[in-house]
Amino acid sequence: MSAKNSGNRWQYAPSSFRSLWKRFLGFMLDWSIVYYFLHASMYLYLVFWGSQTIAGWNYYKNDAYAAFFNPLRLDSWMWWLVLGGTLLLVVLLRSFGRSLGQRAFGFSLQGVERSFVNAIQRSTRVIVFPISILFSPFQLLTSVIRKRPPGRGLLHDHVSGSSIRTYIHPSGLPKKRIWFTQWGWIAIALLSLTIFLGWVIIDANLGVLINRTDEARRVFMDIATPDFSHFAVPDPVFYQRAYPQMFSIINLMVLTVLMALAATLIGAFFAFPLSFLGARNLMCQNRTGYVVYSFIRGFFNLFRSIETLIWVIVFAVWIGYGNPFAGVMALVIHTIAALGKLYSEQVESIDSGPIEAILATGGSRFQIIRFGVIPQIIPSFLAFTLYRWDINVRMATIIALVGGGGIGDLLFYYRNQGDWSQVGAVVLAMIAVVWTLDYISGRVRERIA
Amino acid sequence: MSQPYLRFENLTKVYERGQVVALKNVSFSVEKGEFLVIIGLSGSGKSTLLRCINRLIEPSAGQIFVDGVDVTQLSSARMRRVRRKIGMIFQHFNLINRSTVLTNTLSGRLGYMSAWRSLLGLFTKEDKKLAIQNLARVGLEDKAYARADELSGGQQQRVGIARALMQNPDLLLTDEPVSALDPATSHSVMQYLEQMNQEDGVTVLASLHFLSLARRYGTRIIALKGGELMFDGSPSEIDEAKFKEIYGDEAEEVEVR
Repeated sequence: MSAKNSGNRWQYAPSSFRSLWKRFLGFMLDWSIVYYFLHASMYLYLVFWGSQTIAGWNYYKNDAYAAFFNPLRLDSWMWWLVLGGTLLLVVLLRSFGRSLGQRAFGFSLQGVERSFVNAIQRSTRVIVFPISILFSPFQLLTSVIRKRPPGRGLLHDHVSGSSIRTYIHPSGLPKKRIWFTQWGWIAIALLSLTIFLGWVIIDANLGVLINRTDEARRVFMDIATPDFSHFAVPDPVFYQRAYPQMFSIINLMVLTVLMALAATLIGAFFAFPLSFLGARNLMCQNRTGYVVYSFIRGFFNLFRSIETLIWVIVFAVWIGYGNPFAGVMALVIHTIAALGKLYSEQVESIDSGPIEAILATGGSRFQIIRFGVIPQIIPSFLAFTLYRWDINVRMATIIALVGGGGIGDLLFYYRNQGDWSQVGAVVLAMIAVVWTLDYISGRVRERIA
Repeated sequence: MSQPYLRFENLTKVYERGQVVALKNVSFSVEKGEFLVIIGLSGSGKSTLLRCINRLIEPSAGQIFVDGVDVTQLSSARMRRVRRKIGMIFQHFNLINRSTVLTNTLSGRLGYMSAWRSLLGLFTKEDKKLAIQNLARVGLEDKAYARADELSGGQQQRVGIARALMQNPDLLLTDEPVSALDPATSHSVMQYLEQMNQEDGVTVLASLHFLSLARRYGTRIIALKGGELMFDGSPSEIDEAKFKEIYGDEAEEVEVR
């Protein structure tokens, strides 16, 4: 308790060094931005003006397929130039105005006692800092052993009388408009450069949309005149090894909806108890709870970030290609992770009052969850589960692409045959079912919430 | 003389984040059957003091003896046994909004129930009968099957009282029970607390903001300022000068009639 007032000179060191780490991160951000600009301009030069003749073929010229990392093939001496040049530019940016890295991590260049830094000081810093930074380990060591003079930041540059310190906005002054700041300009340039680069790399060409209408028209016309002959009657040509009997469109549609339903219910069954273990407010009371919480949250995040289609690939190998059960298992895994995260966020946002009340009456941990938490979360849990069923139905229609079974089997079969009228019928069935479920679950969710 | 019912010894609470000292070496004792009112500015440590008794907040140092037992040393299982004899009433009622009034009242009984019975929500017939009786006592028997959030503030606080009654408490902690209520409702709620104190012999600790209420209902008043005990005496001892001392020079007394 008295540690704060005991005048321990080690006390200030950790916080200063944490800010030094953030300062370093800001520096690295600026450096990567500068290198990004350099790399992008080298790439664009290669695409538009550069040429490289290999076996009589001229690569690059107006060729967007030039790989983005081709500029990396520089001579070694040029890499030293790039290194030095970008570093110098970063120091320049960070000395004049507030760079994006400084803005992002809350720093700015300040004189002694947070005073204004003039242009001469700034220019001096650009020249001196690259040299003085080499002695920074010694400077840091002395700042730990001896107390720094007041009003100076860590790694203070004594020649120019400036250091990079935590930015405090002067009270009473309006915030600078984004156009009048260095970081604003850099941010805008970064954004527009990235959009332009994306356009070039993707080779976006709006002309294609017009040039190829003739070919597309035939397919569209076929799809627009769907052939419902196999809507209720199985198509004798369609045969999937995974299915014991032949299915019509409507049969496969029912199968698909049931797959989604099974996956949602099984997923919710497992996600429900796990969500309490993944809720910060319930678990982070002690160390063990924190470990369990981190583990469960890590599980949710990891398994949610792997798309359902990828899980289908795994289970199609395990259970059997085209087997609907493989699709269900993949949906279950993703549903547990996605619902678990949504559920536990809901548990985290509950009112802590009832928990306190149950605790005060002598309730145990389980009683708190049963009487203090569950009544509060039931409606939103139901809403989330319905929403998930919705998503799962949509997902179940396409997982057949990688062997998950369901109506997608029929869709991809007809597409591969080029039988676009049948594709139209299947797509229409999908639209009808997805739209109906979407509408119903939307209405029900409205009523619950 | 026998030992006091409730005894605080050098109770100290320091909140780790920001190193805020909420309570500083607070020592006093309370006899059985007292109606003790705690007054003081917001942030003076009233809530912390009350919550330290049933350890909703862990004290940093010092001891609290409830009926001769040092509650600061109890394991969590034994603390639960102590808690079920200590009722608590909150400023914002802390009811389960989506549940019925009856369920809310019955939840006061949880400390006496086995884990599996409570998990299935199987309250005994006697408990239900008791709950209806207690709701009748606070004049809410016709609201038993209404949802808690359909009730007005005063009614919700009375459900809170019924929930505390279900515990059959020896000690009642009330944390600003009337701060969220209008003056007329405040008196009705305070009268129920007074009734519990006089008829059932429950020791009541109440933190209050209005001195007029404190004088009217308290048998004894303590005042906290900056986490330190600065007054301990009968309600009549608080005069203008004492009031300024507790609440600061700019304070004006506001009355609730």
